[in-house]
Amino acid sequence: MNNNSKKHIIELENVHVSLKNNVETVNILKGINLKILKDNSISVIGESGAGKSTLAMTIAGLELISKGKIFFKGVAIHDLEEDELANYRSKNVGIIFQSFNLLPSMTALENVNLPNQISGVLIDDKKGIELLKSVGLKKRLNHYPHQLSGGEQQRVAIARSLISSPEIIIADEPTGNLDKRNSEEVMKLIFKLQSDFASTLILVTHDETIAKQCNKIIKLDNGLIVKDE
Amino acid sequence: MNNFKFWKLSIKELRGSFNEFKIVITSIFLGIFIISAVGSLSENLKFEINNQRSQLLGGSFELSTTYQKFPQKIKKWLEVNGKVAEVIELRTMLSSNKNLINKRRLVELKAVDENWPLIGSVSITPNQTLNQTINNTNVNGVLIDKNVKNQLSLDLGDTLDLGDSRIVIKGIIKKEPDRMFSFATFGSRVLLSIKTLQKTNLIVPGSLVKYKIKFIPNKNNINLSYLNKLVEGTNITVRGVNSSTNNFNNFIERTSLFISMVGLITLLISGIGISNGVKGYIIKKIKNIAILKSLGAKNMQVFLIYLFQVMVIFLLSIIPALLAGISIPFILSPIISSELFDTFQATIFLKPIIISFSFGLIVCLLFTIIPISSTYEIKPIQLIRHAAHNIHNESSKKIKIFIFFLICFLSYLIVIMTNDIKLSAYIFTSIFVSFMILSTLTNIYFYILKKINFKIGSLSEFVRKSIISKNSFSKTIVVSFSIGLSLLISLNIIEESLDNKISKTINQEAPNHFLIDIQPNQIDTINKLASSSKDILFLNSQPMLRGRITEINDIKVENLKVNKDVEWVLKRDRAFSWTNERPKNSKLISGEWWKKDYNGPLLVSMGDKIAKGMNVKIGDNIRFNILGRNFEATIYNTREIIWENMNINFIFVLSESSLTNAPHTWIASTTSENKEINNNFVEKVVTTFSNISSISIEESYKAIKSILNLLIIIINSIALITLLSGVIVLTGILDVSKKDKLYEIAIFKILGASPKKISLLWLYEYLIIGLMASLISLLIGCLVSFILLYFVFNVDFYVNYLTLIILSFIVPIVITVFSFFKMIKLVLSKPLQVLRAHNH
Repeated sequence: MNNNSKKHIIELENVHVSLKNNVETVNILKGINLKILKDNSISVIGESGAGKSTLAMTIAGLELISKGKIFFKGVAIHDLEEDELANYRSKNVGIIFQSFNLLPSMTALENVNLPNQISGVLIDDKKGIELLKSVGLKKRLNHYPHQLSGGEQQRVAIARSLISSPEIIIADEPTGNLDKRNSEEVMKLIFKLQSDFASTLILVTHDETIAKQCNKIIKLDNGLIVKDE
Repeated sequence: MNNFKFWKLSIKELRGSFNEFKIVITSIFLGIFIISAVGSLSENLKFEINNQRSQLLGGSFELSTTYQKFPQKIKKWLEVNGKVAEVIELRTMLSSNKNLINKRRLVELKAVDENWPLIGSVSITPNQTLNQTINNTNVNGVLIDKNVKNQLSLDLGDTLDLGDSRIVIKGIIKKEPDRMFSFATFGSRVLLSIKTLQKTNLIVPGSLVKYKIKFIPNKNNINLSYLNKLVEGTNITVRGVNSSTNNFNNFIERTSLFISMVGLITLLISGIGISNGVKGYIIKKIKNIAILKSLGAKNMQVFLIYLFQVMVIFLLSIIPALLAGISIPFILSPIISSELFDTFQATIFLKPIIISFSFGLIVCLLFTIIPISSTYEIKPIQLIRHAAHNIHNESSKKIKIFIFFLICFLSYLIVIMTNDIKLSAYIFTSIFVSFMILSTLTNIYFYILKKINFKIGSLSEFVRKSIISKNSFSKTIVVSFSIGLSLLISLNIIEESLDNKISKTINQEAPNHFLIDIQPNQIDTINKLASSSKDILFLNSQPMLRGRITEINDIKVENLKVNKDVEWVLKRDRAFSWTNERPKNSKLISGEWWKKDYNGPLLVSMGDKIAKGMNVKIGDNIRFNILGRNFEATIYNTREIIWENMNINFIFVLSESSLTNAPHTWIASTTSENKEINNNFVEKVVTTFSNISSISIEESYKAIKSILNLLIIIINSIALITLLSGVIVLTGILDVSKKDKLYEIAIFKILGASPKKISLLWLYEYLIIGLMASLISLLIGCLVSFILLYFVFNVDFYVNYLTLIILSFIVPIVITVFSFFKMIKLVLSKPLQVLRAHNH
C-alpha cells in the first residue's frame, strides 16, 4: 500500500483494461498510473476512443480491470467482489452520465432518493428535496423524466449523484447532450456542489475550456496518459 | 441489505409496464382458470353427493342378489327392523308397432313396489304421482325415458306389448332419485310396478334378474358389518352409502383429474409464453437494471425487484382466473339442479383454490426464474457500452437448486391432485420425456439448418440465417406449436386406427347379433330355425349362468393379491359357461381340453391373460359360488381370449357336471353374410319368444362410436387449447421482437428493399418455421400413436394420409398468416422515423 494513501483518495497502478469479442481482444487502457488527491478536481481529456470513460468507470468500479491495481483510500478495489463493488459505489461514488440515465417510471424526487433507497438508509424526502432545490428544480419534484428538459434531467442526475454524500463524483461527459447555455449552467452547478460537498471530482470531457476549470488535467491517447498537468 | 425495501422500489419501477405483461397474464389466466374451474366443480359435486348419498342410493343400505329372490327370512327381518322398498331390474326388448312400423329397443326395466322411493321423489312429465301412473295396476301404466319415447316414436297414452302383457305409457321420467348410483349400462329406463312386471311373465328361471332391497334401519346399531353377517352364506351383496359414494366420487375424481391435467398441460405450455414474456420484459429493462447497479444495487436486490414485479403480475392474473374458476359451479348451478340434484347450492371450496394457486405459482416461478436470474448477467457498464440484446441464461448453482426444488414441489402437487403415486410418476415421466424428445428433435433440425448452405444472396440463405441467428425466437415457436400439433396428430392416428379396427371387426370377424336370455327349452327350436335357414347362417350358442369367485387355492378373494388390471374379475358376478367340447376357434395356450365324455370332478378352462394376472396355473383350485352353492374346480387349461373380435368369450368354461341342471339361460350369436337373412332370423326368434332380447352389434358399435367420438372431441379440444397456447407464445415473441424487426425493416428499406420483398421474406421465414414444427409433430405424433396402438390398444397402425396432410398444414398456415397480420404495420412503417427513434 502507498505511503501517501491518506492524501490520495484514488491510486491506479499499471491499470490495463482489455475487452474480448468473438474475433479479437481490444486493449482499451494499456497501463495507467494515476494518483488523485482528496477534494481535488481532475479532468480527463482525449480523442474519442482514447479510453476516457473507461478510466472513469474503472474508478467507479463499473469496469473490471484485466491487470494492475486500484486503491480507494488504501483499499484495493480491484480485489472486491461484484456485490462489494456495488457497496463501494453506493457509499462512496456519485456518477453523472452523459445520457442522464434516470429511471423513466420514477419522479425527479424518487430518482434522487434512489441511491439511498438502494442502500437502505432512506428515512424521508428532506435531503432529496433540498438537493433538488439546490439544483433549481424546486417546482419539478414530482415530474417524470419525460416531462423535463435535457438540462433539467441532468440536474436531477447531479442531485442524485450527491444524495449519499459521496467522496468521489464521476461525471462522464455531463454536458455532451446539452446546448451551450445548459452546459455552462450544469458545469457551474457541478463545480459549486463539488466544493460545497467537499468531494473529489473526476470529470471526463473533450471540452478543454471546461477541463481547465479543474485542479488537474490528464490527457489520454490510445489507452495511455500522455499528459499530466 | 439492511433497510432495503425492494417491494417499494419494485412497484415504482413497474409503473407503466403493465402492457408488457399482456401475454404473461393471458397465459397464467388460461391454465389456472381450467384447473380451478374443474376443481371447484368436482368438489361441489362430491360435496352434494355426500350430502344426498342416502337419496342417491335409495336408502341407508342396498341389498342385491342376482337370479334368486331374497330368502323370505331375510326379507321379513328387514321389514321388521326398518323401512324397506323392493326393486327388480332386468333387460328386455320393448317393441312398438305404431303406424305399422315395427321398432324394437333393448330397455332396462325397473320394477318397484309401492314403498319406493324411500328417500326423495320421482319427477314425471306431465306432473303426476306414482299412484296416478305405475301404481295404478288396473291400467298397467309405465314411465319411460325420453330416449325410449324418441327411439320408438311413442306418445303418452300409447299401448304396447311387454312380454305377455299390454302396457300404457303414462309419462316421461324427468328425474329418478336413486339412478345416479345404478349406472344403467344397456338401453334406457322403463319404470313400472312389480305387480305389472309379474303380469308380463318376463321372469322365468335363469333369467338375468337383479333383485334389490333398499333399506333404512330403525336402529343405529344396524350397520354394514351387521348386515353382512346377516346375509352370510347367501348370494346377497350389501352396499352402504359410503361404498357407493366412494365409487361415484372415484368416477368424478378421475374425470376431473383428466380435465385438470389438460389445465396443467396448458399451464406448462403457457409457461413458454410466460418465460418469453418475462425474457422480453427484462431485455427492455436492461438499461434500468444497469442504472440501478451503477447506483450501488446488488445483484440480489435487482433480482428481488424483478421477481417481486413478476409476482405482482402473477397475482393480478391469478386472482381473476381463480374468481372465474370458482364461479363456474355457481353459473352451472341451474343445470346441475335440474339434471342431478334438487337442492344444489354451489359453495366455495378452499382445496381447489389452494391447488390451482400452487400450480400457478410453481409454473410461474419455474418459467420465470431463469429470465429473472439473467439480471445477474447485466452489468452497469452497459450504460456506456451497448451489449447485445440476447442476454445469456447460464443459471447459477443456486438457481439450478431452486429449479430442482420447484420441480419436486410440482411433482408433489401432481401426487396430491392424482392421489396416486404411480399415475403421477407416469404423468411426470410422460411430460418430461415428451419435452426431451421435442427438444432433441428441434435441436437436430436447427443443427442441420446451421450446417447446410444455400447460394449466397438467395432468399433461402437469407431466411436460413435469420432463423438460426442468436437473437431469433424460432426455436421457441417451433417447440410451442409442436406440442399441440403432435397431440392432434397422435389423436388422429389413434382415432383412425381404432375406427379401422372396429370397422374391420364388424365387417369380417364379429357376429351380427347377440341373442340373450334364451331359456334352455327354447334353444333347440332356435337351433332348428337356424339350420332350416336357406342361406348360410352361423349360430353359436352357449349356456350361461352367473356366479362369483370366492376362493383361489383356499385363499379368500379379499385376501388375494392380484394384478390391478384383473381385479375386476373378482369384484362382481361373472358369467360362466360349460361344455365338454372345445369351443370352435379357441386357441389353447397351456394344457389340453378334457375328454368329450368327461364326467369327473369339475374342471375349468380360463382366459390365459386373466390367469396370469391372478397368478394361477394349471392344477390350481378355484372355488365359485353359483346360485348360493359352492363349487370347486381345478384349472385344466388356459385359452387365448380375443375380446376385439366381439364373439362370445367366457373367461371361465367349466366341464359338464351337475351344474348343467341349475337354472340357466343361453346366449347365442348369429353371423351371416346376408344382413337381411340375419335380421329376419333374429326378428323371427324375438317375436316367437318374447323373453329373448337381441343386441345388434352394429348398433352397439354406433353407441360405442358415439362415446368414443365424445372422448375424441374432448381430447381434440385439449389439443386445440394447446395450439392456442402456441398462438399466445407466438404473439408474445412477435411483441418482444417487434422493435428489432422494425429496425431491421427500416434498414432494408433504406437499402432499397420494397415492402413486397420484405413481406415475402417474412412469409417465407415463418412458413419455414411452421413447416419445421409440422415435421417434428409428424414424427412425434406417429411415434407416440404407434407406441400407444401397439402396446396399449393392441391395434394395427393405420394412417389416413389426407387428414394427416391437412393437419400438417394447419400450423404453418396459422403461424404465417398470424405473424404476417400482426406485423403488417411494421412493413408499412417509415424507415427514417424508425431509425431516429432507435438512435435516441
